[in-house]
Amino acid sequence: MSGLEHQMSRRAMIGGMAAGATFLGFPLRQLLAMEGTSHAPKAEHVILFWNGGGMSHIDTWDPKPGRPTQGEFEAIETSVPGIQLSEIFPNLAKQMHHCSLIRSIAGTQGAHGRATYNLQTSYNQSGNLIHPGFGSIVTHEKEKMGDLPAYVSISGRAPRAGYLGQSCEAYFVGGPGDKDPYLSFPEGITQERGNARLDRLARFNKRFATGNRNEALKATQTSINDAVRLMRSPALQAFELDKVPTATLNRYGDTAFGRGALVAKQLVETGVRFVQVNRGGFDTHSQNFPAMRNHGEVMDPALASLIEDLAESGKLEKTLVIMLSEFGRTPRINMNAGRDHYPAVFSCFVAGGGTAAGQVIGSSDENGEQPDQRPVQVADLHATFCHALGIDPEKEVITRLARPMKLVDGGEVVSELFA
Amino acid sequence: MVRPFIRRTASFLSLMAVLVTVIPTSPGEETAKQLSSVLKSENAENGFSQQPAPIADDHAFLRRVYVDLIGRIPTLDEIRAFEKLDATTRRAEIVEKLLESERFADTWTVFYADMLRLRSNADGGSAAIAWVHKAVRENTPYDQLAYRFISANGKAGATPEVGFILGDNADPMALAGATAQVFMGIRVACAQCHDHPFDKWTQKDFYSLAAYFGKTRRMETRFTNTIYTTDTSQSTVLWPPEGMSDDAERKPLKPQFLFTLAKSSDAEYIQRLDRLRDSLVSSTDSQPKGPSVDDILSALDDKVDKAARGGRENSFDVASEAKRDARRLKINAGMASESELRSELADLVTDPRNTYFSRAFVNRVWGHLIGRGIVEPVDDFSESNPPTHPKTLNFLAEEFVASGYDLKSLIRTIIASEPYQRAHARGVDEATQAELEEAFAATAARRMPSEVIYDSIVTAGHLFEVKHAAGQNLRVMWQQSRVAKEMEEAEAVVEDRSLAAGNSEPKMEMKAKTPDGRPSYNLESAIELDFDSVLKKSQSAGQESVSIEKMQVMSREELEAMRMQQEDQERRNVEFIDRFVKTTVDDNPKFSSSFRMASPAAPEHFLRVFGQTDRTQLGEHRDNSPSMRQALMMLNGRLTHEASRVGSLEPVHQLLIGENADPQAAVQLAYQEILTRLPTAEEQAEALTIVNEGNSQLEGMADLRWLLLNCDEFRFLP
Repeated sequence: MSGLEHQMSRRAMIGGMAAGATFLGFPLRQLLAMEGTSHAPKAEHVILFWNGGGMSHIDTWDPKPGRPTQGEFEAIETSVPGIQLSEIFPNLAKQMHHCSLIRSIAGTQGAHGRATYNLQTSYNQSGNLIHPGFGSIVTHEKEKMGDLPAYVSISGRAPRAGYLGQSCEAYFVGGPGDKDPYLSFPEGITQERGNARLDRLARFNKRFATGNRNEALKATQTSINDAVRLMRSPALQAFELDKVPTATLNRYGDTAFGRGALVAKQLVETGVRFVQVNRGGFDTHSQNFPAMRNHGEVMDPALASLIEDLAESGKLEKTLVIMLSEFGRTPRINMNAGRDHYPAVFSCFVAGGGTAAGQVIGSSDENGEQPDQRPVQVADLHATFCHALGIDPEKEVITRLARPMKLVDGGEVVSELFA
Repeated sequence: MVRPFIRRTASFLSLMAVLVTVIPTSPGEETAKQLSSVLKSENAENGFSQQPAPIADDHAFLRRVYVDLIGRIPTLDEIRAFEKLDATTRRAEIVEKLLESERFADTWTVFYADMLRLRSNADGGSAAIAWVHKAVRENTPYDQLAYRFISANGKAGATPEVGFILGDNADPMALAGATAQVFMGIRVACAQCHDHPFDKWTQKDFYSLAAYFGKTRRMETRFTNTIYTTDTSQSTVLWPPEGMSDDAERKPLKPQFLFTLAKSSDAEYIQRLDRLRDSLVSSTDSQPKGPSVDDILSALDDKVDKAARGGRENSFDVASEAKRDARRLKINAGMASESELRSELADLVTDPRNTYFSRAFVNRVWGHLIGRGIVEPVDDFSESNPPTHPKTLNFLAEEFVASGYDLKSLIRTIIASEPYQRAHARGVDEATQAELEEAFAATAARRMPSEVIYDSIVTAGHLFEVKHAAGQNLRVMWQQSRVAKEMEEAEAVVEDRSLAAGNSEPKMEMKAKTPDGRPSYNLESAIELDFDSVLKKSQSAGQESVSIEKMQVMSREELEAMRMQQEDQERRNVEFIDRFVKTTVDDNPKFSSSFRMASPAAPEHFLRVFGQTDRTQLGEHRDNSPSMRQALMMLNGRLTHEASRVGSLEPVHQLLIGENADPQAAVQLAYQEILTRLPTAEEQAEALTIVNEGNSQLEGMADLRWLLLNCDEFRFLP
């Protein structure tokens, strides 16, 4: 805890570059984390469902049947004896043996902005420094596969890349399954004409670069080359859904969320490292229950089908699927039949990527008000996710102002998740 | 002592008048010469001995000043007008002309909005931006502008300057950090949690600064949703900080400034400022007025009346709620137009003896015009980050103070100086190039900011006006409408999907398909705001002040709510049938200036992709580095495509079609309009081939223009 200890260890790291910090090329920390779990990282990809607004934990992952805080939903049995989910997840309940839950996240931030920042980056918001989101960290640490961008954000904005730089920003997809107009030549420009333009452009820029020297020119050319490679890639098909059978579309529930899940699946199958699917509307200060029932109807078929399909194809082993929100909601139901912001304890859903299946890590107390067993800090979550991918959460990157920053703001790996 | 500030009694218009009469014919030239020589001798002291790059040619200069002063490249007419001016004086003349342009105010409003992190969708944000626009247009002295932002109290919109305080939710800690960093380049925010690691500021320094904001509150009346700031008697800034001792021991902290100002104010530049201000006092006694408590209460009455007459709430509640609101306003009768504590702070910040204040600003303007600050990052003055050219910086700062904090005069000086006017380093090795650029003896590459790229494409492509004759771009569209089945016969409800949720972020969100099935390019649209009417409406203090801001940019939550509502509607049991309606439209595109749109733009908008920030994070500056998304938008976007296409109403059309066709001249025109220069012989021949190899010469010209707009030379300044 002591600040002095922290300072000293940091100074040691900077000064001696911690001669002992790696062993056989493995960062010490990773070895320590692996000790006792005999876990080798298996995850290659991540699908993160980001539920913006603060999703009620009691009405989803952490039902409290029979307690005054239960609310309108019953708890239902799942495919794992002893684990119950809210009734809004009837299909997902049947896939529970592929999934795990963490029910004891102890958040600290109760405002949307600050909590979102904290949950997406592991850091607390502070002036003058933008910390990278988890997707940017994965993009930074894992080699890109194939032509597609390593990091794609669907139906909304992903967190920023901060000091990891422009190349770790998410590629943005507006409506899942819709064609991105910027990936083909403008209307009326044939392939032949468009390609001739590109060839000439390369020549113009090359000539300009001979008389003008600067790094930005090189980087501009790289960005154009990347863009053209992407435009011409057959892998682009992974963004589209027109070849997906209607039956499959319906099985996922033909909603923006369901299409997002399908596109996410196609993308990771094509080599994309990180897909974030965004959905909002969880800020249920009033009329919490009808809203959550709607959310269930939208999320349940999509998430259940995604887990089922990934498990069947064997891709689940390599794909870490996470559903996360910035905080939970008050166990107490307010005058407007709503629940308010509640960071003290909430839950998250995890599946695949080499994590243990059919587990519940930690618990909240009987009313869902405080962490009970095994509290998990927000940074622990990030350390755990990094660990699943073989990323050392303590690795330091240097910001533009020469300040060393750890990938994750401290945190311990939740080793039970790899048991 | 410095005499009491004249800002309270002086009219700024008359300050302008004095400046104009006092300064001789070529304003700024003399100061610029001195600036150049201060830099030169400072470089010599630093042991710099390289041959500086030559002065850039006239056309390179012209392109630079158009971009820097009015935010776009020059048109052919403007190039020609410049060429007609007397070669010995035309650089100064063009600068004077541009400084008076309406676009100068537009362009430098964005500079300020970035600096102050003003956001159209924040409380009072639109009005604050509009107020800055007015201040730039009237050349309000910078110290006055800063003073108002730091000290103002009042209602969001009606008192536009409170937008700065409300932008940080009137939070003392956030405002202490922002005030120190934005106005003085002191990054004291780190000292909120611990003593600054690389600098002299302690945590107590930070808290003492925050104490100036300790009595300020953001208030929101319950019934009318009026948002305002006011001062209370209790300070929320307590020492020691939370958690460091028992709450009982924590006491309100006495406000204290970060450092003590010099006792004496007899510095030569301050005496010059005093003389300037003396001459103003005698010439005016008008007094700027903020809104009074009465103004605010009467505005409230209007609202109550209106709501009581037509509002949905029952009138009893309305009346009692409103009375409670009004009483609260009276109780908090610190509703003067200024906060006492913050006025004290504003006096200290803007004191001519506070060199942090003047140096931070001139450094920021220098960085904006030259591409790199004398201190970099421009808002990070600290012992561990000293200026590369302290004497040059001090010279600029003192001249700026002596000019009466006159932005235009500062810009004039920098633009007329050698460092601004030098060409790029050519024909030297990399190390020498770096050395030259660091010494400001050669101009480093500078990419145009996002708004400038946007407006320059619009300018070069003649897209501010329609360029195709009516009827030339007819397009048959199949418009898909959703009609509720049971309603269909009555034709009562037609839900037009193109206006539904996907487009709810006012025409900016990427909606993948337009009604006719084509992909859409909404990420490149710009909806212009009329700043004058924003200001007028806000200050008329009616319901509009709230609604206009809400209309312009909806909050993320509202957008989400709309989207949810839409999804719910689709899921409801109402059966819809899709109807297709054939319509013919004349797709004759016209674009507006991006400098006047609500800002920051939507996250994936062209402007944001090219570096505009979301203006929330302190210390975040524009990132002008390239990205793949930028490349895709330029290669395949609608803006470059429409700018490239040749319209029959454009001058170049006449040079390609008909008996007077002159393709050689057409090529030259394209080069001048897009790159502000004529092509070389080699380029001319190559361009002609491109034009001739098109399916038609019109298409060939479109190809050439697309190339010129996409090439690096377009976006990097000469």
